[in-house]
Amino acid sequence: MAVAEKNVRIDGLVQSFGRHTVLDEIQLDIGTGVFGLLGPNGAGKTTLLRTLATIIGPKRGTIRLLGKDPALGHDRREIRRRLGYLPQQLGYYPNFTVFEFIEYFALLKEMPSADVRTAVVRAIEGVDLGDRARSKLRTLSGGMLRRVGIAQAIVNNPSLLLLDEPTAGLDPEQRVNFRALLREIGMQSTVIVSTHLIEDVAAACSEIALLDAGRLVFHGTPDELTLLGDGGIGDSPLERGYTRALAGARA
Amino acid sequence: MNHDERERNRDTQPPQALDVDLEKVWTNVAGEVWAQPVGRVERLAGRLLGSLGLARALVTTPSLVTSWMVASVIVLVAGVVATHSTGEPWSALLLPALAGIGVAYSYGPGIDPAYELSQAMAVSDRMVLLVRVFAVFVFNALLGLIATLFAPGIAGLTFSWLLPMAMVSALGLAAATMSRSANTGVGVALAVWGLIVLGSAYGTHDLATAVQNGGMLPLYALGTIMCAGLTLYATSGSRGNRGWQWQ
Repeated sequence: MAVAEKNVRIDGLVQSFGRHTVLDEIQLDIGTGVFGLLGPNGAGKTTLLRTLATIIGPKRGTIRLLGKDPALGHDRREIRRRLGYLPQQLGYYPNFTVFEFIEYFALLKEMPSADVRTAVVRAIEGVDLGDRARSKLRTLSGGMLRRVGIAQAIVNNPSLLLLDEPTAGLDPEQRVNFRALLREIGMQSTVIVSTHLIEDVAAACSEIALLDAGRLVFHGTPDELTLLGDGGIGDSPLERGYTRALAGARA
Repeated sequence: MNHDERERNRDTQPPQALDVDLEKVWTNVAGEVWAQPVGRVERLAGRLLGSLGLARALVTTPSLVTSWMVASVIVLVAGVVATHSTGEPWSALLLPALAGIGVAYSYGPGIDPAYELSQAMAVSDRMVLLVRVFAVFVFNALLGLIATLFAPGIAGLTFSWLLPMAMVSALGLAAATMSRSANTGVGVALAVWGLIVLGSAYGTHDLATAVQNGGMLPLYALGTIMCAGLTLYATSGSRGNRGWQWQ
């Protein structure tokens, strides 16, 4: 019986800027569910997400997304139609309303125009911003802007959702709601979340990868990372597993 | 069942559930209420370009916002006044510089707030760049045509300023895309145009030589073609791991 190809296949991925290697021989297969990307600052998480968002091509190695090859123009366009991406720094037009901004990206994702309004309303309600839908972006708080960013990422009901530190700036209640939203989206799509917050990973992710200095030093479930925790530093078992895995990789 | 019987039944029977999807109704109502009306320019652009996404990308062009356009008009009015008072074709000399700055500031990192996101969209950012550059160029060309009406002295120079304007715009665009910096694009465009104006005036002591000397037109045309080629290269898939950009 043929095995279905996973939504994300990364094979020997190398990324470098100048002489600095940012990602070194990354090998990952990621299927449906919520996948956590962990690692210290400068580990290469954002570069990996930008590569998967088809913003930068690999220096070496290959990736396949949603069964397609992003190196090919036609495939890349197809991938982008089914992609949701939230960058670490969300740029926005201060005079746009929440609705206008999300609608703009729905249009750039080439959603059928008849479906755009409904999709925008659902995305806005998904991040609980219904009461601010007509507000100008310049009037929103940092946490609200983050939710606008999440809404534009999910507006096309993406098959591949890439989120770079999505919970930064969200209050605890919003984070709980957001994790529930992620789990719901992860039932049918591949969600890759880069985060520093171990509790987000523990609560939402079914699988995680740990990057350090561009290398993949752990890939498994949160429970498997927890099991590595003996002798690690941290307040929670998962944090101890995280620090232990990093220390082991650096030894 | 007559009317009286129907009235009696209505009073005695429980109300029937309506076969209406209330969530769908709410979504449609919210969509109507929350959506902003689309402006005339955006609607027209959407029809012409065949893409509502590109149309909105066009109306968000940083160098086509009202304040920018007003500033351009003010500069050009000053140029027309200077043309009248000095007899030098200042409007024709200013137009290429204005267009070069506008084109360099039409799109790119640090210029478009949503640039990072736009790169991951199905509507290619190369198309967004193309559409915006074209619109900025057309806007400046229209300003130039209007200026020729008010500064008759440069009317005969129409084609003389148009080609330098194309060259300086293409140069600003090429420098901005190669360096990924609008400021570099503006700097290069202004520096080269300044050098051309001063250099061509060196022997003649006439600043207008850059736009009056017909012998320079082939050079402007060649420069435009070369810079357009450089822009195509800078936005193509042949630049290392930036290979997917601008596709």
